[in-house]
Amino acid sequence: MERKIGVYICECGPNIAEKIDIDKVIDALLPIEDVTVVEKFKLLCSAEGKKYLEEQIKKQDLTHLVIAACSPTEHEKTFMEVCENSDLNPYLFQLANIREQCAWITEDKDEATKKAIRLVKAAIGRVRYHSSLEKKEIESNPDVLVIGGGIAGIEASLQLASSDRKVYLVEKNSSLGGLVTNFEKTFLGMKSASDVINRKINDINTNENIKIFTNSEVEEAIGFFGNFEVKIKRTDNENGSVEFDVGAIVLATGSTLFNPDKTPRYGYGKLDNVLTSLEFEKMNLSGKITLKNGKAPKSVAIIHCVGRDEKGYCSEICCMYSLKFARYLVDKIPNIKVTNFYSDLCIPGKTYQKFYDETKGNNVEFIRSFDVEIIKKDNQLNIRYKDENKVKKSLFADMVVLSPAIEPAIDASKVAEITGISQGEEGFFAEEHEKINPISTSTEGIYIVGCAQGPKNISDSVVQSQAAAGKILSSLVPGRKIEPEVKTSQISESFCIGCKTCISVCSYGAITFDEAKKISVVNEVICRGCGNCVAACPSGAASLKHSKFNQIYQEILEAVK
Amino acid sequence: MKGKNQNTDVLVIGAGIAGIEASLMLSKADRKVHLVEKTSYTGGNTIKFEEVFSNMECSTCMVAPRQQELLQDKNINLLTLTDVKEIKGSSGDFTVKIIKKARYVDMNNCIGCNACFEPCPVSLKNEFEEGLSDRKAIYVPCAGALPNVPMIDTDNCLRFKDKKCTACQEACMFEAIDYDQKDEKIELNVGAILVATGYNLFDSKKLNNYCYGKIDDVYTSMEFERLYASNGPTEGNIVLKNGKAPKSVAIIHCVGRDEKGYCSSVCCMYSLKFNHYLKSKIPEVKISEFYTDLCIPGKSHQKFYEKMKETKVNMIRASDIKVVKKDKDIAVEYRNEAGKKSMNSVDMVILAPAVEPKDDASKLAKALGINLDEYGFFKEENTDVSSVISSKTGIFIAGCAQGAKNIQDSVSQASAVVGKILSMSN
Amino acid sequence: MNKVKGVIIPAKTGIRKTIIDFLEKAMEKGVFDAVIIPMKLPAGDSFAYVLVEDKYLLKNAIPLPPTMFVQGAKAISSVTRLGEGKMKIAAIMRPCEIRAAIELAKLGQINLENMTLISIDCPGVLPTSDFLSNPEKNMKLFDDAAKNLDDKIMRPVCQICDKSSMVSGDIHIGTLGAKKDTVFIISNSKKGEDIADKLGISLKDNIDSWQDKVKSISEEKQKKRKKAHKDLKVKVGGLDNLVEAFSHCINCHNCMRVCPVCFCRLCYFDSDKVKHRSDDYLQKAEVKGGMRFLPDTALFQMGRMMHMSLSCVSCGACEDACSMSIPVAQIFSMIADETQGLFDYISGRSLDEPIPLIAYKEEELEEMEDAND
Repeated sequence: MERKIGVYICECGPNIAEKIDIDKVIDALLPIEDVTVVEKFKLLCSAEGKKYLEEQIKKQDLTHLVIAACSPTEHEKTFMEVCENSDLNPYLFQLANIREQCAWITEDKDEATKKAIRLVKAAIGRVRYHSSLEKKEIESNPDVLVIGGGIAGIEASLQLASSDRKVYLVEKNSSLGGLVTNFEKTFLGMKSASDVINRKINDINTNENIKIFTNSEVEEAIGFFGNFEVKIKRTDNENGSVEFDVGAIVLATGSTLFNPDKTPRYGYGKLDNVLTSLEFEKMNLSGKITLKNGKAPKSVAIIHCVGRDEKGYCSEICCMYSLKFARYLVDKIPNIKVTNFYSDLCIPGKTYQKFYDETKGNNVEFIRSFDVEIIKKDNQLNIRYKDENKVKKSLFADMVVLSPAIEPAIDASKVAEITGISQGEEGFFAEEHEKINPISTSTEGIYIVGCAQGPKNISDSVVQSQAAAGKILSSLVPGRKIEPEVKTSQISESFCIGCKTCISVCSYGAITFDEAKKISVVNEVICRGCGNCVAACPSGAASLKHSKFNQIYQEILEAVK
Repeated sequence: MKGKNQNTDVLVIGAGIAGIEASLMLSKADRKVHLVEKTSYTGGNTIKFEEVFSNMECSTCMVAPRQQELLQDKNINLLTLTDVKEIKGSSGDFTVKIIKKARYVDMNNCIGCNACFEPCPVSLKNEFEEGLSDRKAIYVPCAGALPNVPMIDTDNCLRFKDKKCTACQEACMFEAIDYDQKDEKIELNVGAILVATGYNLFDSKKLNNYCYGKIDDVYTSMEFERLYASNGPTEGNIVLKNGKAPKSVAIIHCVGRDEKGYCSSVCCMYSLKFNHYLKSKIPEVKISEFYTDLCIPGKSHQKFYEKMKETKVNMIRASDIKVVKKDKDIAVEYRNEAGKKSMNSVDMVILAPAVEPKDDASKLAKALGINLDEYGFFKEENTDVSSVISSKTGIFIAGCAQGAKNIQDSVSQASAVVGKILSMSN
Repeated sequence: MNKVKGVIIPAKTGIRKTIIDFLEKAMEKGVFDAVIIPMKLPAGDSFAYVLVEDKYLLKNAIPLPPTMFVQGAKAISSVTRLGEGKMKIAAIMRPCEIRAAIELAKLGQINLENMTLISIDCPGVLPTSDFLSNPEKNMKLFDDAAKNLDDKIMRPVCQICDKSSMVSGDIHIGTLGAKKDTVFIISNSKKGEDIADKLGISLKDNIDSWQDKVKSISEEKQKKRKKAHKDLKVKVGGLDNLVEAFSHCINCHNCMRVCPVCFCRLCYFDSDKVKHRSDDYLQKAEVKGGMRFLPDTALFQMGRMMHMSLSCVSCGACEDACSMSIPVAQIFSMIADETQGLFDYISGRSLDEPIPLIAYKEEELEEMEDAND
């Protein structure tokens, strides 16, 4: 079919008209053989402008459209809509930026005009090689899989279920509740932790929209946003696996504590009455805080930052729960002496300073210390340390509670592998963007919440769970079809040599390997069109729709002629 | 909160990073959003930074795509220069009275060419630039502000002081300047409200020991952000008042912490970020950070701290800090970790003041009928249930309006509010 | 890196016969079903890699032929291109060929599941055209040179090869430093150890004399290599010198075709992407005044270098095949040392080391970042 390219130049007020001799540009373009019409217009993005373009496309019977105006980020979408409204495939269009990239940055009018001519010719050179591309629509499943039945997983499930979504909650242990079931109180307000968690567990058990699988693990989770196929199996040697489909997955696998066995200087596992914070919580919940000999301790040392240097990050909640421990002790054991050994006090919440001020007192002391070591001396636990001035000191205590760093759950790597998401250096699941997208991952449809994403307190875990629910409720709507990326990558079957270089550079898991044909294949629904594979492919078998070699080559050729 | 005939539209108060996130997410769920913003621009405080920790990403580049999406989103009714006056009703059925102040520039006709600035005869201190540079009476707060449409500051515009001046209108080729625009009183019906009004910095003038506002080259963190910003008053050149680059800088943490009674959680991290700012422009500069406790929770933040330490910054745990002018330099007097009195001589001081709620937080709280906590932030109902629910059902809070926090947590709270709103009514 | 263990076996019948004996025995015991080994072909004076299933044919095998008609890795790549077969195969090749095979395995072109790689101390190899000028005479010259460790007649890249005894396969046959009438059998992997086990060989002998001899030869060669590369860099460094160095190139692509590591089905430089409209050629000629045909020869050389440099094993096959006698292997080999050096990578050293091209690390090449800082 004969090519009929229509070129329209926007004056954009003084922006373009004053800086570029548009008539000269028009004269330069008219002689081009397949350019049917070149016109200028006052403001193409206005209502009149759009109407004018739609009429022109039909009247001139255009096969391709080139507009010379502002930046694509401003109005590419606008003009693509104009094409759609006039039955011209919106990808047979190219926008040449002669405003931000020419008029706004070139002082000399002659130079600006020459550059504008090149830019428009380049756009024309490119658009000649454009192909029609069609939007795709796929069905989506609005149900959700939540992995992990701790407070974060429970909260996410309840939030989603209250919107009538079907939720499958998978928990590897025999009961729900996770770590919070071990606490007597939470440090925000010293409220009853069991009230909080039991109420939620009760809500979940009575919610018809939530199907709970305890003693279970996810074996497989294959697919993509809107269409995941999940397989669950039991962990307690019972037979039977369950299969179902969901549209989104929430990872709420929680955390575990750094093992102080790795830091022998604290005497954990060797000396009596040296406990981790979790062991202390459990002891406190059981009702009686006692030493190994059954008596109540008269003095307790709480050591902050255990394993902090080894792990390389601050676990955020330990200073606060150490304060909570001080309160437990002071409230339950009269005349007890509590000493907190810390390096930097991390109390960033708005009510935390107050909590600290109210906890510190006659019987609760805070010592800034370094190089802490626990040994047995005179049949007692002796804490050796260096104070702020690097002077060596020591203190006796009946009991020592260690506040170890928070690590991701033991099976985090397994879950990451099954769902195909990445882990950061520290082992926590990697979010899509540290600042503005901490709940999503680079796999669309998989979200990370709570301590699985990074150490945090209950309130922030709950917020993240609700945030994941928000993301799912807004992007995965029952009945609404999903429109995957149009400008995806394609791999030529005949030229692919199966070296798998593309697979190793794809951050989205969009490329799979066909073992039978020994070639790589792009899943066009997951592909986000980033182009990494195209750049990496040594044989040029991979190409990107709408950024094909010829399109770019001709654009450059015209630009530098 | 299920029920029929519940209004599903949402009012979002504040178009900062939290408000923008919530609006975009709600729009994706096909909810109609009225996004009300007090100033003339979107992006709040976040767009004042050049880079954000800990990956030192360009802040404006991070936010701009969202701002663009916002402006082109058909479900979002962005109302800038707008205040909320009062609300009536309850969750699912609120009636909100707002006043949309006149911009005096037509948002459809204006194409952002900026031709109207030059002829304006009035010059004033630019608030966005923390007073470090000037603007005209018709202005946009900074290059790249979105929406890219100027406003007329009627308190200072000559025409609005009964002087005959039409300089800007004459310069405009698109008939975009309209002196006859009037403030509009609008009534909206919504089902839920999100308060995401953000924060201000504690006024360091209130503390005498830092000499802020009394001697040159003592800056607040926000002022310093503008000094480093490539679209700022010095185009990113870090210079003293005399135009020279500083040779030594003191960054003082916890300014106003005792007065406010809480740790503002972001200052240690951004103070470390300032290390990077300074070293990247002035490689030989000597930096000392005066802090009490280093608060750097977060899985990637300690790594950032280690990286900054490699720039040989002098980390000084100090108390009783006093800033005084000493000949040509500035002296930072303090008590070091051992309790001994010490002094560092520098040519620039940067203060990290506490994060407070906006000045009109109490006025807004009254209009909405929700409570503030003892620090003046909007009070959350119950942190274990959710820190984003206010004292009134149907009204939510997110971001620094609820308490000092970093961008990641503000965005999470905004998303959480959307989760709550979307599961509110069916 | 694997732990290298070895055994000394008698070699009274000579190295060649000893190796063949070893392989025959292995085939008899069912350790291997087939062997890929160079043989002299009945027709003419050529050698080729032959996949031998009938062990009696092994009598005619020549494990270290005087020339490398086909690079070993290229020869075996077709066998398992589409996946492993049921046969257990042993491939006897020079170290550079083994290394190339390992690179190809990393790129999914060779499946090493049922393949055992056996290398042998290499004295170098004659340039093919030199050999063909008088095959009989040169065969003798080669044998003498190999015995005396004299590399003057070998390929230029062989003369500066410091990896002629590099062990990266499963088994290595060590001739250097061995006492008279003995040879070392060295195992480098679990596969190698299992084979030794099945053959009743106990790998408990001291192989220090082999290791020492290898080390001293390698160090000497390294010095030669460094100097040769330094001189070459001066000769071909800089744009003008580089263009001159490749000025004879006629884009025949022989080098690419014989290179074991150039494995693309359709080379980029044979594809549509380098075929332009005549108007485009005309325009280029206009701009420059004139245009040379066949075009893009330097582009081809640099492009190929960029694509395969990280896997180059300095075998020299390319230079042998160059129809215009350009010292391709010497140049490419010099660059390969530098590019691989950037990543502390040696091509073919270990199957476990990913090729830097496809291994993403957050912190690397930081000196290349922030050029404006």
